Amino acid sequence: MLQDNWFLRAERFFSLFDQRLMNSRQRLRTALEHQQADRVPIDFGSSFITGIHCSVVEKLRQYYGLEFRPVKICEPYQMLGEIEDDLADALQLDVQPIFPQRTIFGFPNENWKSWMAPWGQEVLVSEHFHTFTDNTGDTFIFPKGDCTAPPSGRLPQSGFFFDTIERIDPEFDEENLKVDDNLEEFGLMTDEEAAYWQSQSERLRDGNRAVNIHLNGTCLGDIALVPAPFLTHPKGVRGVAQWYMTAAEQPEFVMELFDRQTEIALKNMERLYQIAGDVIDVVVVCGTDFGTQTSLFFGVHQVREIWLPRYQRINNWIHEHTHWRTFKHSCGAVKPLIETFIEAGFDILNPVQCSAEGMDPKLLKEKYGSRITFWGGGVNTQKTLPFGTPDQVREEVLSRCEIFAPGGGFVFNSIHNIQALTPTENVVAMFDAVHAFNGTA
Amino acid sequence: MIASLQILTESIKTGKRKEAKAATEAAIEANVPPEEILNALSSGMADVGRRFKANEIFVPEVLVAARAMQTSMALLEPLLVKSGIEPEHTVVIGTVEGDLHDIGKNLVAMMLKGANFKVVDLGTNVPADKIIEAVQQHNAQLTALSALLTTTMPAMQQAVEKIHEKNIPTKIMIGGAPITQEFANDIGADGYAADAASAVDVARQLVSAR
Repeated sequence: MLQDNWFLRAERFFSLFDQRLMNSRQRLRTALEHQQADRVPIDFGSSFITGIHCSVVEKLRQYYGLEFRPVKICEPYQMLGEIEDDLADALQLDVQPIFPQRTIFGFPNENWKSWMAPWGQEVLVSEHFHTFTDNTGDTFIFPKGDCTAPPSGRLPQSGFFFDTIERIDPEFDEENLKVDDNLEEFGLMTDEEAAYWQSQSERLRDGNRAVNIHLNGTCLGDIALVPAPFLTHPKGVRGVAQWYMTAAEQPEFVMELFDRQTEIALKNMERLYQIAGDVIDVVVVCGTDFGTQTSLFFGVHQVREIWLPRYQRINNWIHEHTHWRTFKHSCGAVKPLIETFIEAGFDILNPVQCSAEGMDPKLLKEKYGSRITFWGGGVNTQKTLPFGTPDQVREEVLSRCEIFAPGGGFVFNSIHNIQALTPTENVVAMFDAVHAFNGTA
Repeated sequence: MIASLQILTESIKTGKRKEAKAATEAAIEANVPPEEILNALSSGMADVGRRFKANEIFVPEVLVAARAMQTSMALLEPLLVKSGIEPEHTVVIGTVEGDLHDIGKNLVAMMLKGANFKVVDLGTNVPADKIIEAVQQHNAQLTALSALLTTTMPAMQQAVEKIHEKNIPTKIMIGGAPITQEFANDIGADGYAADAASAVDVARQLVSAR
């Protein structure tokens, strides 16, 4: 008993000491260990599902009095803006990204050039960002920057994001599916990619912030990627409805595809770990959405049969060979799947859509909070943040922090990306509230 | 009940489109009245809707069922036209301007077809004027609008307001991820549905209340 007390006291003393010294990386790692950090870690911009639309990034830069410069488009599909260090400091962000070497449209983000977005904002895009506008004013983008290929994305004249264009191979035969056709995008890491990871990891090795990356090829059946907007002439199952129907009618095809995809991804992870393993803290394994607003896209039994064993292979490898924490994104009402995600070995769930059926924050924290980290859930981006008042935003943010923060296992982020047209005063109210909660306002 | 109709209903329920096609052909061959074949189809889709709402089946199963229904419908439609059998109600459906998402909208359209509505699908990114034009042209008793993005909710509101301004005699129902009953009330839509199966119930209520 005496010994226990001594240990407890010593632990408390050292944790207080640690708390004062915590940098962003320590803060995140502590929270992911389900321990109380000095404050709640905050993420915006470390992934393509925790980001901010470029128009909002520009307004935030103005609000915080930062040097005016056009925002870089780090992710052209959702038109997410890069959050540079000066803004990350103002927002007190704890996590930063190393983005994949190629964007979702298949080209590297390099040699920036100016581009005027349809909503009248000048932004910076990759030199390979090639588009044309048709007579309705819609903008079309080419895969790999190849203007001879059919365009793979479309941005409506009054829209703020691209959507993928389904390009179905005329020779596609659903009775005779070939796994290789749907494997075209999954290859071994090229030397060019390896060099990219080398340089990026060197850039961030001594950084203060934690690092989050999207793993290449572990995303199993993400519906945004099925149409392969990065390929010039995709073959195989590339339609959204077609994909869902294939999963229902030919699950053995999908499982074989996922198995082969996993094989390749494991080899790539090994190489990535050798190059940049020590720099990386968190890996986004998969962004496949399983939830709708009120229900699931697939039954629990289907997820367990088709996805669970492959997720386990990936997560087990990571946990056996690295210190990385694994991140699963799924929008919607996924409460019936959280036990499966935990069993699959995921450490983190995002975006924690509290407004969806059954996703009550208190219940989630109570039932799963000690076993999986909630990365998100901070504020509703479908209602409160875009359409509420700053007071309503503040109230919701504080309430979520009070529920999710105790004992760690929480990283503050809104529920998915902050969308275009979200009022700046609401975004600022959100940051002010989480900073107030952290005692750093 | 004729065996081929039982098989037809079952094949819709399970999404077996080849069986659905064969059963429809057999029923036509046996001179079964087209409205009876239609009833068998609708009964299959009603069961699909019920199980979808009860979370017994999910989006993929609904899609395969709807595809089986469409295969059968393609054979049946010419006979229905020939017999002068028309759906009682017409619905114009589309995703609002600026929004390209259509999985949810397509599911609603399929379920409404299965419930024997005439469905005029305008696709995605549809400007308000085009919606109004189609509603007038087809005398649609019902207009169904979808939006997936918070950024296109204002376009939905504008479309609803324009329909009201022009006093067009159509009921309006809305849906899509960020849409709620509260939003429907705010913008003056007559109905809201959270999913494709509920959309059929809401549609029926709205047209019967006219």
